[in-house]
Amino acid sequence: MFWKLRLPLALTFIVGLVPIVTFFLSTQAPVIGPAVQFARDRVERYMVIIAGFALLLGVVSVVQGSVRKIERRRPGWPFAASLLAGLVVMGAFGILSAMRVGPFQGLLTAPDGGMTPFFWMTRNLFNPLQAAMFSLLAFYIASAAFRAFRVRNVEATILLIAAFIVMAGRTPLGEYAFGWLPGGERWLPAVTDWIMTVPNAAAQRGVIIGAALGAASLSLRVILGIERSYLGTTEK
Amino acid sequence: MKLERLVNIDRRIVYLCIAVGTTLPLLLPIGLPVSSTPPVRSLFEKVESLGPEDVVLLSFDYGPTTAPENTPMAEAILRHCFTRGIKVVVIALFPIGGVTMAGEVLANITPEYPQLQEGVDYAFLGYKDGAQAAMKQMGVAFVNVFPVDNGRRPLGEIPLMQRVVNYDDVDLIVTLSTNVIAEWWANLVNAQFGTPVAVGATAVSAPKYYAFLDSGQMIGLLGGLKGASEYERLVIDRYPHFARLYDRPGVYTAIKGMDAQTVDHAIIMAFILFGNTVHFLIRRRDRRAGLRDA
Amino acid sequence: MSQLIGVWVAAFLTLCIFSFLSRDNPFFRFAESLFAGVSLGYYIGIVAVNTLVPNLINPLFGDFGANAHLLIPLLLGLNLYTRFIPRIAWLARISLAVYIAYYIGINMVQKIQGEIVPQVGSTILHPIGGVMTPVDNLILIVGVLAVLIYFYFSIEHRGAVGAVSRLGVWFLMLGFGAAFGYTVMGRVSLLIGRMNFLFIDLVRITGQVF
Repeated sequence: MFWKLRLPLALTFIVGLVPIVTFFLSTQAPVIGPAVQFARDRVERYMVIIAGFALLLGVVSVVQGSVRKIERRRPGWPFAASLLAGLVVMGAFGILSAMRVGPFQGLLTAPDGGMTPFFWMTRNLFNPLQAAMFSLLAFYIASAAFRAFRVRNVEATILLIAAFIVMAGRTPLGEYAFGWLPGGERWLPAVTDWIMTVPNAAAQRGVIIGAALGAASLSLRVILGIERSYLGTTEK
Repeated sequence: MKLERLVNIDRRIVYLCIAVGTTLPLLLPIGLPVSSTPPVRSLFEKVESLGPEDVVLLSFDYGPTTAPENTPMAEAILRHCFTRGIKVVVIALFPIGGVTMAGEVLANITPEYPQLQEGVDYAFLGYKDGAQAAMKQMGVAFVNVFPVDNGRRPLGEIPLMQRVVNYDDVDLIVTLSTNVIAEWWANLVNAQFGTPVAVGATAVSAPKYYAFLDSGQMIGLLGGLKGASEYERLVIDRYPHFARLYDRPGVYTAIKGMDAQTVDHAIIMAFILFGNTVHFLIRRRDRRAGLRDA
Repeated sequence: MSQLIGVWVAAFLTLCIFSFLSRDNPFFRFAESLFAGVSLGYYIGIVAVNTLVPNLINPLFGDFGANAHLLIPLLLGLNLYTRFIPRIAWLARISLAVYIAYYIGINMVQKIQGEIVPQVGSTILHPIGGVMTPVDNLILIVGVLAVLIYFYFSIEHRGAVGAVSRLGVWFLMLGFGAAFGYTVMGRVSLLIGRMNFLFIDLVRITGQVF
């Protein structure tokens, strides 16, 4: 019980207090100043390294799941194999780049100015796959807007009008819409600027304050050990 | 034709319209004008006020998913800084492609300035994990986070980094961001260290940052492709020799992208209006037939 | 030649992804699985090259005496992976507690000092100076208060509170409408990049070789 729950909760409390306490205490203060500096610097440097390990946790999960799928010949297992192939090749290129073995001299350009194998894979597989996957959203947003954007009440009408003004005002379309009137090319962009800097800023500020209050209270609950779901338990 | 068939058009027709609306203006440029807005002019004027003794920290916090928006911003800002002789320190804190985006942009821009020396006029420190921890520790010393630069050169051996120790030696931070990292520069670095922060954000995030702009936590904001095109326009107007770079055929720029953006916006607005018009006609027909309550 | 092969590989994979617009098919599923695998492999590369080697491995093995304290993050980082061994999975809670607690602590200070205080302060100080007109200042202050009242669910939204809450909803709709407009711009930009690659970059690079 101590090692599995009490110790992690105690560590959460102690480590969680470090950035808060060191924020308020000056590193110039006598006696405690150097201690504050030491604690803050060491912890921050350690967190950069631990974050690197944490980022790779997902790799192990995915490898486990894919290997299981291939072993049991579940439907779609050839695609799990292509996932593993991509992971192994790109990961191997990355590790060899870290070790600076043969042509694998870093992530970007080699000392002779040429492209390293890792950069070739990044430019011709990683970049286009990432970009293409997200560019599908343009089609989906158009289709969804056509099918689902319906003006059924006052609120939806306000939303539609604001969206139209911004979509037109943030392109040259807005200048041409009223450009035939004297000074008209500035009207829609000016209205768009006003919507963004006044009502939009007000709404976003309200959301930011509300969300920040919620996040700060959740942080306090985690540090005090009231919220324990991050440990995978709600046990008291 | 039954009204219901109009509102249930095959989605692939919508996709085709978007695809054609995007591609045609790229192949046959219209050349629509671009005008600037105050948040973009604010960043431009800030960079204009800096000179060879000043340092800009440029953080590549985006990846290939938003490169069409953020890369033109990066290129325009780098050209602006290098033309004014401003020293630039380049880092990346976004794990999904930040460092490779930074490397590509530097590889594209630095050949235009053969007189620049890496390590003297600019430094590329690479990527680091831990975003917020790295941001906080850079306020103490860059070398604690980046012991070596992207080329594995110790920071102590880099002339520029000998005088740029921490945020006190940085005059402006510009983050090109796709997600929450831009907020962290404002609500952590600007709030705790006071260094001015400007953001080149993807359009999806930009509306939120108007609140930060209003409170002074951000001093400039480039929102999406429009923001990138505005900055390009300001740079070209102020330094006319850039026009030949941006007018090269076959080279993607934000100004050229705005043609396609405009056409696509018009298509989507037309579809929304069409859908709502048909929807109202259906409701009116049903009301008249007594099938639905007004 | 490697640039030519690379650009055609990129074009093939882009079209595999776009084929999903018609319907799900093996080409899309192959590209999707490759996308996941290559992305994870990319993480391995950048973490190894940019963080683990320069910040941990080189200092630790280069000058162990001065950098022995780096064994702490090494052990804590490796300990995270014990979660995959069922018998000792509980050990990972120690590293998880340290990692999450630190970022929770930073987040708390960030939210209060970096968001709540400046945003509230800016709203209170709005009538004093600045570039906006008095009417705009008033609209902004009223808007922020109305939105905050809308999000206050501890009292029933009736009467005066209900009216102000309704006003808050209208401000939110203006904000969401603006956000929708910008979201459309953002999504379309991504497609512009891919179409530029397929119809301009691909043709240009192929033409350069031949």
